[in-house]
Amino acid sequence: MTPRARWHPWAMLVPTLGLLVAFFLAPIGVAAYESLFSWDLLTPPRFVGTSNYAALAAHGELLHIALRTIAYSTMVVAGTMSLGLALALLVDRPGRFFAFVRTSVFSAYVVSWVAVALLWMWMLDGNGGIFGRALHGSPLGDPRWALPTLAVVGVWKLTGYAMIVFLAGLQSVPRSLHEAAALDGASAWGRLRYVTLPLLAPTAAFVATTSLVTSFQAFDVVRIMTQGGPARATELFVYAVYEQIFLDLSVGRASALTVVFFGLLLALAALQLRVWRARAGVAR
Amino acid sequence: MIARRDLLRASAALTMAGCAQRARPLREDGRLVVTFWYAYGDLVRKVLLDLVARFNASQSRIVVKAVHQGDYFEALAKLRTALAAGAAPTLSHVVLEVVPYLARAGVLEPLDAYEGARAMPFVAALDQRGSFAGADREPLVCIPFNRSTPIVFANARVLEDERVEIPRTWEELADAARRLTKRAANGETRWGFEVPISWWYWVAMVGQAGGRLVDPGGRMTLGGDAGVEALRFWQRLVREDHVMRPPPGRDYQAWQSSNESFLGGRIAMMWSSTAYVRYLEDNARFPVVAAPLPRHVRASVPTGGTMFVLLRSAPEEEKLAAWEFVRWMCDAEQTIAWSTRTGYLPVTRPAVDRLGQGRWYERHPNDRVAYDQLADAAPWPWSPELFRIDRDIVEPRLEDAVLTGRDARMLLEQARSDAERPA
Repeated sequence: MTPRARWHPWAMLVPTLGLLVAFFLAPIGVAAYESLFSWDLLTPPRFVGTSNYAALAAHGELLHIALRTIAYSTMVVAGTMSLGLALALLVDRPGRFFAFVRTSVFSAYVVSWVAVALLWMWMLDGNGGIFGRALHGSPLGDPRWALPTLAVVGVWKLTGYAMIVFLAGLQSVPRSLHEAAALDGASAWGRLRYVTLPLLAPTAAFVATTSLVTSFQAFDVVRIMTQGGPARATELFVYAVYEQIFLDLSVGRASALTVVFFGLLLALAALQLRVWRARAGVAR
Repeated sequence: MIARRDLLRASAALTMAGCAQRARPLREDGRLVVTFWYAYGDLVRKVLLDLVARFNASQSRIVVKAVHQGDYFEALAKLRTALAAGAAPTLSHVVLEVVPYLARAGVLEPLDAYEGARAMPFVAALDQRGSFAGADREPLVCIPFNRSTPIVFANARVLEDERVEIPRTWEELADAARRLTKRAANGETRWGFEVPISWWYWVAMVGQAGGRLVDPGGRMTLGGDAGVEALRFWQRLVREDHVMRPPPGRDYQAWQSSNESFLGGRIAMMWSSTAYVRYLEDNARFPVVAAPLPRHVRASVPTGGTMFVLLRSAPEEEKLAAWEFVRWMCDAEQTIAWSTRTGYLPVTRPAVDRLGQGRWYERHPNDRVAYDQLADAAPWPWSPELFRIDRDIVEPRLEDAVLTGRDARMLLEQARSDAERPA
């Protein structure tokens, strides 16, 4: 289809671009500007240059928040993908029992983060929770274990979603390829390794991207289960922004964190795109 | 084209406009509406709502609408946002440490000119002047409401069984915690002592170790050597003696966890707020005994809890109505009801006198502990930075020192340098 005038395609893009500018680019721009000020919402802002960034960088706080968020995301993405795929392979069978299992596993995904966090807090409670009693105390109180515990909660919540997407991917793998491979003498493992997994690569990329974005945005689970503690061991980016602006009374520092967070996500997205483009090039 | 500076100015102007005064008071069925944001749950919430209902029933001109806003810190976050958005309530109560900051921001109503404001018979350590060093030069902006001190709670049955006395010094505390800690073969532990790793309790220990948060010149020293000694004492109990368990969670989650462990018999002694006296007594299956915090080189406690504040942005009529409610709450009858049904300190002298005359304290000796401790109460510095230093700078480092074992002096030096840097 050829546009009648050169500007027609641009006109079509205006609504999307307008929304993108109004709700994404402009707020990021405002955040970048406000990050140069000391401002507490209640008194007039005071220009401080890059001191908000310097304050966050002091004692490695910014680096720790970034590394912590990446560590959490890595655990969640890896756990979600491997468990989701394993479950999808296990329940990709007809019958009521497997339908029940699929529904049960997926149900965790439709429950709100708040409910999930409260449920896990109850189970991890050192005073009476099933896991807390077994572990002789809540792992949420230990700086070494608090973040992995939150990651377990994240994996538990997101695995159902990954499983469903992988199931859709599995069902789109042509049966004829499996039959041909079987005729050529490929074992079950060989068919999985050389037929199923390569064809699931686009699905895996989709699951990885959505899990990464979701895990980077983790807030509710931190807010409810640990409030960033103990000893800041679970202070992830979005929670740190919340804490800076609402609890520590610093809009400027929260804005600086937002800008860094945006930069980090942009870099990760660019890296991911680059990897996929390179792979697509190889495939061609 | 709009410059970015204009954009910031516009958002700041909007905020300032938000902080500006609402012109028209709210009315409902002809009664003036006072919106009151409050911040606690369970028993305390029930008692407060009972009192509000009693006030509303006692007259026909004003109706107080009490709105729950979560814990103290959630409520403060909401209050600041509401102030910026021009949707602040008429009345709220805020945690003590944030009053100087809100006063400097100009969002609190000065109360000096309100009828009877300067003549209310508050217990000296609990009003604005007594709670803050240097506040006598400031306009009156807050009225004591739910005020407290940290105290010791002990399981009297366990103490009797183990023949352990309530500790009166830090060394006695370490010894008692050691004797009360029992480890069963299945890995279950009854801890001798528990206290949330929190600014409030650390400040108490800084005072007990002979320090002050601020030196006479107004510089935030965080107690100097006393601050380090206090933190190292915690490190010793947790990491060397293994007789103290820091509860999981932060803020009131940790406090509630301690309460539950105490009620479940999993800890023998804890430090907590006098606010929990009634809750613990009513829910424990063992006798609960309260005692003053132990001393080190001296006895010292901070006061805590919250103060009533009127928000400047509310219409004049609403503020006058809110003031009427605040005064009513400070009458001896309400003060006594509030104090005896919760455990919070009675904030006025007539209330204390009546409780004494009625032999309340003889029948409820645990209620008397916090009041007697006021003799050793250390006022907070009137510093607008106090809240930021507490939340952002000191508290995470206390946790860091106790839970990871990092050097207390190094962490507090870092905290001191951060405290001196402008926000």
